[in-house]
Amino acid sequence: MNLKEKLMILSDSAKYDASCSSSGSKRKNSSGIGNTAIAGICHSFASDGRCISLLKILMTNCCIFDCKYCINRKSNDIKRAIFTPEEICEITINFYKRNYIEGLFLSSGIIKSADYTMELMIKTISLLRNKYHFGGYIHAKAIPGASEYLLKKLGNLVDRLSANVELPTEQGLKLLAPNKDADKISKIMGYIKNKQSKKFVPAGQSTQMVIGATNETDLDIMQKSEDMYNSYNLKRVFYSAYIPVNQDANLPSLIVPPLKRENRLYQADWLLRYYGFKVKDILDKNNPNFNILLDPKADWALRHINEFPKEINSCNYYDLLKVPGIGVTGAKRIIQSRKHFKITFADLKRIGVVLKRAKYFITCDNKYFLNSELFKREFIEANLVLENKNIVSNQGRQLRLFNE
Amino acid sequence: MNDVYIYDDNFNSLLNLINILLKNKIKPFNIKNNSYCPNLLDNIIYLKTDEKNIIEIYQKSLGEEIFKIIYYVFLSNEDEKELIIYYFLLNYIKYRNKVVYMRNLLCVSEALRISKYVSRENHRFKGFTRFKELKNKVLYAEIEPENNIIELLSFHFKNRLKNECWIIKDVKRMIISIYDKNNFYVFSEDNLKFLEIEMSNSEMDIEDLWKAFYKNIGIKERRNDKCQRNFMPKKYWKNILEVSEEYEISC
Repeated sequence: MNLKEKLMILSDSAKYDASCSSSGSKRKNSSGIGNTAIAGICHSFASDGRCISLLKILMTNCCIFDCKYCINRKSNDIKRAIFTPEEICEITINFYKRNYIEGLFLSSGIIKSADYTMELMIKTISLLRNKYHFGGYIHAKAIPGASEYLLKKLGNLVDRLSANVELPTEQGLKLLAPNKDADKISKIMGYIKNKQSKKFVPAGQSTQMVIGATNETDLDIMQKSEDMYNSYNLKRVFYSAYIPVNQDANLPSLIVPPLKRENRLYQADWLLRYYGFKVKDILDKNNPNFNILLDPKADWALRHINEFPKEINSCNYYDLLKVPGIGVTGAKRIIQSRKHFKITFADLKRIGVVLKRAKYFITCDNKYFLNSELFKREFIEANLVLENKNIVSNQGRQLRLFNE
Repeated sequence: MNDVYIYDDNFNSLLNLINILLKNKIKPFNIKNNSYCPNLLDNIIYLKTDEKNIIEIYQKSLGEEIFKIIYYVFLSNEDEKELIIYYFLLNYIKYRNKVVYMRNLLCVSEALRISKYVSRENHRFKGFTRFKELKNKVLYAEIEPENNIIELLSFHFKNRLKNECWIIKDVKRMIISIYDKNNFYVFSEDNLKFLEIEMSNSEMDIEDLWKAFYKNIGIKERRNDKCQRNFMPKKYWKNILEVSEEYEISC
């Protein structure tokens, strides 16, 4: 088998992992090749619109496990391949030198045992760091069940080390990944959390959940995320819409991956991490799933319409963040600017705040953008949903912002 | 008549000119570089400037943050960039360091928007630049950015690829940056002639490997052209190896 065939097989097997970020680490180039950028760098965008920053491959797609949703499961009749450590180093360096990539993402099927697999990964990555003097970004997947001393060794070589919880509940995991054990994964995450430092996994850890392969609600998923953010200090949780690669009685037969749902989960995830929201604010037992028509923040705002409109010139930072359409940058700029002048709707545009949704929820100097009698939940909801569906054509004229 | 002040097409000359205008409280109708074609109403004025260290002087007095804003605006492709810098500095005299918060002033919000745009394009090219390896092991890249970012970009690759020799060429502006494992030098191409460019033996194989990887990594059930083009605008595709063929077909 030639190198290109191997790369095709082993990148095909790795592409379902959602994580491709290269941020969070700031290593300088000591005397070899490569450094890392704290904000991360996207090098390309694939046909599905996802960023490519790392050479995302498996060391091997041979596996002793038989996880139902996974393309590499033991019982699948597919072509198998294995990279040698040298091959991985050569491809990485050649790609990096030409600026195709920001670094390497290395995962692997499990061959022989968890420890054996981890040792091979460590051998590869230490060759890359020590012989090839590679200073770029490396994200490695920890193999569930591997010994702690191997985790320690690997963690000292990479920027990010992570383990995927795959499914939000234990029942789901038992059903679809009978060989994976939730305890082993939380053990890895706990270990990384305790040891994390500037030298050990400097970019922190992340994890991934498959969405729509089992029947969890959005509330189940978000609660799991919130728990993990709290207990393991995760940098990111990735959500990956389930795409049927295998046929199995335990798997749903989806035709289209639940991409909109995935999008809502990401939006809610940002609310948890940057906007001061808790899961209980946005979902509850009576509302266990996100509104497909509205983003979670707009949905929340409409349900709490009596807290609005917010006055741009006086409300506090966290209240600004609660306004649909105002993000962290916008809120900070508003706070800075209003110390120096009274903000009008026209100023907001210059400040760089997108008013498309925000205008419904704010006043500037006690003025609403329309007749203030129109500030009603039903009116706003109808407009937001319509704008979302891009059929706003006629309404658009009616809603045009003040006379410019 | 409209007073149009002319500077030589470099930052030193522009700062010198603006410095004189501010000192003498002259409000220009416009400021343009020396390739400007005047129209009938223009009164072209060329002031003699002599301060050699004007860049250092401004860098010191403005501080890094504000100096960076005007420098990035200068690197942009914006039509009225000189006037924006002039009015930004005029307001700096009044507001000092607080000028960056005065986004209700058009010159401030525009300066901040443009400098952010330049900085974003520079960041994008840290990812989108593609090198080819030549026979003599030198890495060679061609770029066509909207703004003049070659110097900013060179700082990045100077750190990242410090043990490689590389050349980056801005095809549109005919500017070349050459790095010799020590420092980089930016030239206009008029001062330099290239011989035929010859690729190293393994170059085709590596490119082939990358294109295969790129094609493979996209999940076909999730295909999303709009999202892809949003993040990676088509105007850049010509020089991005993995999509350059598709670009040529569509043109």
